[in-house]
Amino acid sequence: MSAQHHHEDIQSLYEGDQSKLYSGVMNHHTDINSEESRKQVKRIWMITLLLSVVTIIEVAIGLGAHYAGVHSWLIITIFLALTIVKAAYIVRVFMHLGDEQKNFVNVVLVPLLLFIWFIIAFLADGHFWLHMNNTQANTKNIEAVQH
Amino acid sequence: MTQATTAAIEKSTRWHGGRSPYNVSYGKIMMWFFLISDALTFGALLISYGTTRFSSNVWPDPNAVFHSFPVISNFTDKPLPLMFVSLMTFILILSSVTMVLAVHAGHYNDKKGVIRWMLLTIIGGICFLACQAWEWTHLYHTGAWWGSFFNAPLESVQHLFNMHRPGTAEAIARDPSVAAAATHDFYNYFFTITGFHGAHVTSGVILNIMLLVNTVNGTYERRGHYEMVEKVGLYWHFVDLVWVFVFTCFYLL
Repeated sequence: MSAQHHHEDIQSLYEGDQSKLYSGVMNHHTDINSEESRKQVKRIWMITLLLSVVTIIEVAIGLGAHYAGVHSWLIITIFLALTIVKAAYIVRVFMHLGDEQKNFVNVVLVPLLLFIWFIIAFLADGHFWLHMNNTQANTKNIEAVQH
Repeated sequence: MTQATTAAIEKSTRWHGGRSPYNVSYGKIMMWFFLISDALTFGALLISYGTTRFSSNVWPDPNAVFHSFPVISNFTDKPLPLMFVSLMTFILILSSVTMVLAVHAGHYNDKKGVIRWMLLTIIGGICFLACQAWEWTHLYHTGAWWGSFFNAPLESVQHLFNMHRPGTAEAIARDPSVAAAATHDFYNYFFTITGFHGAHVTSGVILNIMLLVNTVNGTYERRGHYEMVEKVGLYWHFVDLVWVFVFTCFYLL
């Protein structure tokens, strides 16, 4: 059991400011210049470097493809993969989700799985509309043919 | 007691009251839930952008739309695709870093550290907003706005399209009106989504300023913890997170 439970006026904490009860992370640290603190700060700067490098790679690929006139699904896949990498590091390290309990991580991430269906369904729908408009269902073209 | 029995007790008592099952305070959980709902809103906007793009034969080339840089573009006609938005992205990443350092200082009850990093975070946010204001103004002067280029002649939008992209030249030759229609859609989504994101940055800067004032006044020092910095920090990182996706969808793809 954690030390917070021995607090004198535990009732007032439940009813009022709850953060003192639960933010165990904050209660253990005192010295900003400690070894542990320095290690955490170093990690933050490492992630910064990583995010910057990934962005530079994205821009380099984007410019390279632009000037070379290359259009390929491979490049799009690389962009999307690098975006997910950046997002994962921001959520895990900067938002400290990696430090939370596993069941809370699931509470946050599982609802977002809906996006997998959203993206597939809506993009497929858009693609199908384009297909219809370009083929038999395009009334504009039919009118043009009739006149 | 072995580790396994401790874990078993932990598990059985977790949901029996008297403690937070997630070991996260109410305020922080609610901030996460708000961010999930906000992620769905931004997701809906970006997915509808994608749907419209997938249902169009042609789409403006971001390298042709976003090619200007303040001051430098006054001296050279050379297009500078991706350069300005890279700077904006870098500013936002840095202000996210200073925020996480403020949260870190808060964990250690380091008031001076919180003040220093919060100040830098606010400056970063304002710099980003200034960049966005410049970009919007620049695009506005090229005729772009909500509802712009509706039924516009092909000559006014042709330069935004990459004719070497497979299918683009053919589609425009078949029906020249598709170019203006796609440009119209593109700018509507651009101003709506970056505007919605900019509104988030603006409210984030306001929250950060309130946080700084409270820190300077010693509100959190008296309270004994800096959890408010963590909660607003979550929001600020989310704004950076959304920008990562906006950057990919509008500028890279």
